[in-house]
Amino acid sequence: MITISTLVLAAATALTAAQDGEAELTVSVTGIQQAGGQLVVGLFASSEDWEAGRSAAGQFVPVDGDSVSFTFDELPAGTYGIKLYHDVDGDGEMDTNLMGIPTEPFAFSNNARGRFGPASWDDAVFTIEPGSNAHALDLR
Amino acid sequence: MQTSRREMLSMLAAAGGAAGLSGPAFGLLSTDPVLAAFEAAAANDPWTLGMADAPAEGRDAVAERLHGRLPSGLSGVLHRNGPARFTRNDWRYRHWFDGDGMVHAWRLTPGEPVTHQARFVETRKWLAEEDAGRFLMPTFGSVPPDSQGMRGPDYMNAANTSVMMIDGALMALWEGGSAWELDPDTLESRGAKIWGEGLAGLPFSAHPKVDPDGTIWNFGQAPMQDALVLWHIGADGQLRRADMVGDVPGGMIHDFAVTDRSLVFLVGNLMWDRARLPYLDSFAWDDSRAMRVVAIDKADWSQRRVWDLPPGFLFHIGGAWEEADGTIRVDAALSDNARFATEGARDAMRGHVRPETDSTSRMRLITLRPGGRFEQAEFADSYAEFPQIDPRFTGLERRFTWHVGWSDNQLRGASQLVRRDLASGETRRFDFGDDIVVEEPLFIPASDRAQEGAGWLVHTALNKRARASELHVFDARRVDDGPVGSWRLPYANPYGFHGCWRSL
Repeated sequence: MITISTLVLAAATALTAAQDGEAELTVSVTGIQQAGGQLVVGLFASSEDWEAGRSAAGQFVPVDGDSVSFTFDELPAGTYGIKLYHDVDGDGEMDTNLMGIPTEPFAFSNNARGRFGPASWDDAVFTIEPGSNAHALDLR
Repeated sequence: MQTSRREMLSMLAAAGGAAGLSGPAFGLLSTDPVLAAFEAAAANDPWTLGMADAPAEGRDAVAERLHGRLPSGLSGVLHRNGPARFTRNDWRYRHWFDGDGMVHAWRLTPGEPVTHQARFVETRKWLAEEDAGRFLMPTFGSVPPDSQGMRGPDYMNAANTSVMMIDGALMALWEGGSAWELDPDTLESRGAKIWGEGLAGLPFSAHPKVDPDGTIWNFGQAPMQDALVLWHIGADGQLRRADMVGDVPGGMIHDFAVTDRSLVFLVGNLMWDRARLPYLDSFAWDDSRAMRVVAIDKADWSQRRVWDLPPGFLFHIGGAWEEADGTIRVDAALSDNARFATEGARDAMRGHVRPETDSTSRMRLITLRPGGRFEQAEFADSYAEFPQIDPRFTGLERRFTWHVGWSDNQLRGASQLVRRDLASGETRRFDFGDDIVVEEPLFIPASDRAQEGAGWLVHTALNKRARASELHVFDARRVDDGPVGSWRLPYANPYGFHGCWRSL
């Protein structure tokens, strides 16, 4: 029941955010410090989903150099935010230290940075227009 | 990139005809009010030399001997650390503690000239900001224009507070993040010290304590979680244990003490309030609660004793020891408020000093008895900071503390060196007078077997009249006789915080 309502809510928000037309987003990530592991990427379609951690789409991208790029297809045009981290040891989890501070590199769309936590939706939100879109992120 | 005012001036100077003309002659006044105030103060107050920027490439010189000579048994390196870069792109930090760390090596070899070398610690922050030509990161007490958010504490690590040797490496220490490892001979930076999995980026504070057997104890604070990280490192420099300990109130903790059995934390009343930038503004004075003292058992971190003392604030502790019945005696430089941390160190960036925000700490001997009882004795003879002890007596019963001192009506830093006998209350004191700002003295034992206090004091100072940094060596038993040897550099270094002695 919870799963279904979450899906419905996610779909509804995605529809609200959507504009006319389908879009494609290519994300290029530079500044990767260490080859190996994977990027864990979440694409978010609203402020509420950003806060709740409900992604509209996600990818695991193998890392074999100091930069990678990947594409999301068939997206409704609209406003989005990206959260990603470099899962250096490939264990599928974002490693943290004893105090809970991340020890694996991470980034948000617009290269937004948080102050005492994750970047805010307002800082990370960007627009995907119908057709091809590009977004560049830096993990340094 | 935008041309800075300084670059424009140097271009004008290079073009000829501009020599002797100052910025205001071109209408090029600093638009940053803090920088403008500092430049105005620096024009006629040589005390500001200690708050000025050091050159990015560092410094190297042979010191001029003023008088005396090095004692024959005193051979080694005095390493020091302190904030030394406050301005970029015509914008000046708001707080003294923000400056990037510069690590010094004063090399003392009997029969040879005293030499000085200094290099900035090449932190992630330093390298990124050198590259950008402006400050990028929020710091302890400042939010530079267009600064970025953080991805972790080491992004703002200034590595500017102290230094210590661990396992052959020189560590530049800060309060909120990793130790930064340097080559002790070249002062070249190697990078953040990561002690193990899950330990990257954890705070490793600037006042580790070394037991007589070489065991190292340290802490890091997570004030918003009312928690500490405790570090236990063996005499071999290998990590024995690091773990979180909760329920230690989030009052800013800069230093701590060890006894042979306990780790002792005095939690002053500058308390975590809520997350704000700059970070310092996350803390607020709260004297509605006690100054909590927590003694944690070295062998079992779940065991503790607590005492509630009247409100207060401190940066630095002399030392502590524990008696058979569990009574702990600890001496520290305490004040009744935190105005120097929250305001005085901000005034300093404008080149100003005000009596109401200057440091007013005095040495106190606190006796923590079983069952939460305590007594305090304040030594009212002078203000005091940077207390030091004979390191062989760390955690053990002892008589002496050495510290810098200054008198009631005296602003702009300490002029005195003081040896204080905790048992008799007697002091021996040397006052350099108005020209000298005295920095932290380190005690170096004359030999491994010498009795407590038999050895030398080595300290640096700013000579305001000569506009130069100096190094002075005292017989630690006869401080009142004045230095047995003094040396002077051809330049003035920014004021430093803390140092360590590396015997050679």
